[in-house]
Amino acid sequence: MTTQELSATTFRSPQASRSNLWRDALARLVANRLAVVGIIPIILLFLIAIFGPYLTPYDFLVQDFSARLDSPSWDHWLGTDELGRDVFSRILYGARTAVSVGLISTIISLTVGLIMGSLAGYLGGRVDIVVVWLTDVTRSMPALLLAIVINLTLKVPLETWMEQIYLETKNTFFRQTMWVDLFLVFGALALIQWPSYARLIRGQILSIRSRNYVLAARALGMPTGRILTRYVIPNAMGPLIVAVSAGLGGAMVLESAFSFLGVGVQLPIPSWGKMISDGLRMWQTHPHLLAGPAVVMAVITVSFAWLGDGLNDALNPRQWK
Amino acid sequence: MGRYILRRIVYWIPALVLLALVVYALAFFGAGDPIKLMFLRAEGDVTYDAQRLDAIRREKGLDRPFLMQFGEYLWHLVQGDMGMSVISGRSVNEMIAATAPVSFQIGIATVLLVAVLGIPLGILAGLHHNQWIDNTILGSALFISGIPSYVVGPMLIVFLVLGLQIMDVVPYGWDGLFSGKAILPLFVMVFGSIAIIIRQTRAGVLEVLSEDYVRTARAKGVPEIMVILRHMLRPVLTPVVTVLGQMLIGIVNGAIIVEKIFGIPGLGRLTIDNTYGVDYPVIIAIALIGAFLVMAINLIVDITYPLLDPRAGQAMTGVEE
Repeated sequence: MTTQELSATTFRSPQASRSNLWRDALARLVANRLAVVGIIPIILLFLIAIFGPYLTPYDFLVQDFSARLDSPSWDHWLGTDELGRDVFSRILYGARTAVSVGLISTIISLTVGLIMGSLAGYLGGRVDIVVVWLTDVTRSMPALLLAIVINLTLKVPLETWMEQIYLETKNTFFRQTMWVDLFLVFGALALIQWPSYARLIRGQILSIRSRNYVLAARALGMPTGRILTRYVIPNAMGPLIVAVSAGLGGAMVLESAFSFLGVGVQLPIPSWGKMISDGLRMWQTHPHLLAGPAVVMAVITVSFAWLGDGLNDALNPRQWK
Repeated sequence: MGRYILRRIVYWIPALVLLALVVYALAFFGAGDPIKLMFLRAEGDVTYDAQRLDAIRREKGLDRPFLMQFGEYLWHLVQGDMGMSVISGRSVNEMIAATAPVSFQIGIATVLLVAVLGIPLGILAGLHHNQWIDNTILGSALFISGIPSYVVGPMLIVFLVLGLQIMDVVPYGWDGLFSGKAILPLFVMVFGSIAIIIRQTRAGVLEVLSEDYVRTARAKGVPEIMVILRHMLRPVLTPVVTVLGQMLIGIVNGAIIVEKIFGIPGLGRLTIDNTYGVDYPVIIAIALIGAFLVMAINLIVDITYPLLDPRAGQAMTGVEE
């Protein structure tokens, strides 16, 4: 390489990779091996959630009574359950349950958390005290107990209410109790998760608001709206993304924990937690019913943990010492 | 200091009352008529008419307004009476007294094991920052903290009992803390909460390592083990106290799941058994006990933390002038 070429590359490179917060973060994320390993199953999970129904070899409801409780084979990769349903297909459908529950409950709790957290951070005073107190109250209730209480007390009344609407309108939409299950699961998850978003956003607002660059901008007369969009939101984004990634994984884990305990989405929609809990009944004779969904669940949760850790390092570089 | 303690108590008592109100209201309006539930569950054909039901309702005071009934429930609760089961007619106190000791044994054993294993591992990781020991410990902590206990438990059962055939007992039921059946449940419980302690301890060690007093102690030839025991342990362990509340929530959630997997007759098992029976006085009582424990731990941490770490104490109690 001639000197000319060398100088050309060195001079071009700072131009080509102009320092940018997001580009730097991406570079740091890609450099983190665990995070890259973790991101692959998560991308797969989302793809399967979208395209799963077109990929499955069997319908998740089809019962083949000649092939009940089969061990894994070429016909049924992960075997069949006691009704002769293909376990592999059910796991693929379960991805859809996990992803949709994770996404929707995260959107709900993030919205509530954003509103409450910004109110507390901006208004301060009494509002702040009450919001912080409410988050402490909510966080004192162990998640599974909360879900059990909600399911136990609200399920029957909601189902009766739906039944009544069905009788009045004859709209079959109200005949599906699945919607009640989904509503209760989303509600419980949102209730469990909003406090951490609210506290995070409140903390970010309080800390960014007192930074020198915001004080300087305010002293120069920059309108609040612009301060928000130029300084507060971009700076709060990093920790928020980390929290959302953790929350998304957490919601999926909780959803299957609910199903495992029998307070989640009831069949016929396959849910990994429900499959694990069903598999637990005959693990001695048919361990494949337990092992399949359990291994998938473990891979996904560990992936989320690794990705979350990598995102944390990539987006909050100031935490490095 | 006295005023600070009082402030913290005043902070948590209304929190508990609010939780009790919400849970009670959910049950009151959602779970249905307790008298009817009692009759529906009764053995054989019980004929009942509206008049008879009304009479019983009046006799039990169930026709009074919501707030009066809630007030009475709260009053009894303060006196330690948690009401009567709708289904079995036994007192909730009795049912809880029969199951709580098992859960508390598991909880306390978990905390002890987590402390005894987690703190040394965290210190080891911190002392060997970024070396293979640290990477192994932190990596596996991240790994195991990611897998939910309802996956770990079943997978261990399949691998240890069916695969390797190390265990010949079927791990189901409870023969006391020091029996073979307790090993797997405790292992799963410790598995679930040890990562928090390892990470917290490791972070503390990293922070303390660069302190002058540690360098001085090393420079004057204090043996490494004494440096760790006399100079590092206290500043490292003090912040660990703050994650106790978080750990307790994890333990309560974990106990519910572990007791279901291994068929242990504890509080969690009582919760799940009664979920299907709509025995809501039992569920309310357990939910409130869970929340009460978490709040009590938070209160104790709030009060003792300033004593353990005078620097943080000044910031918290505002003594610094």
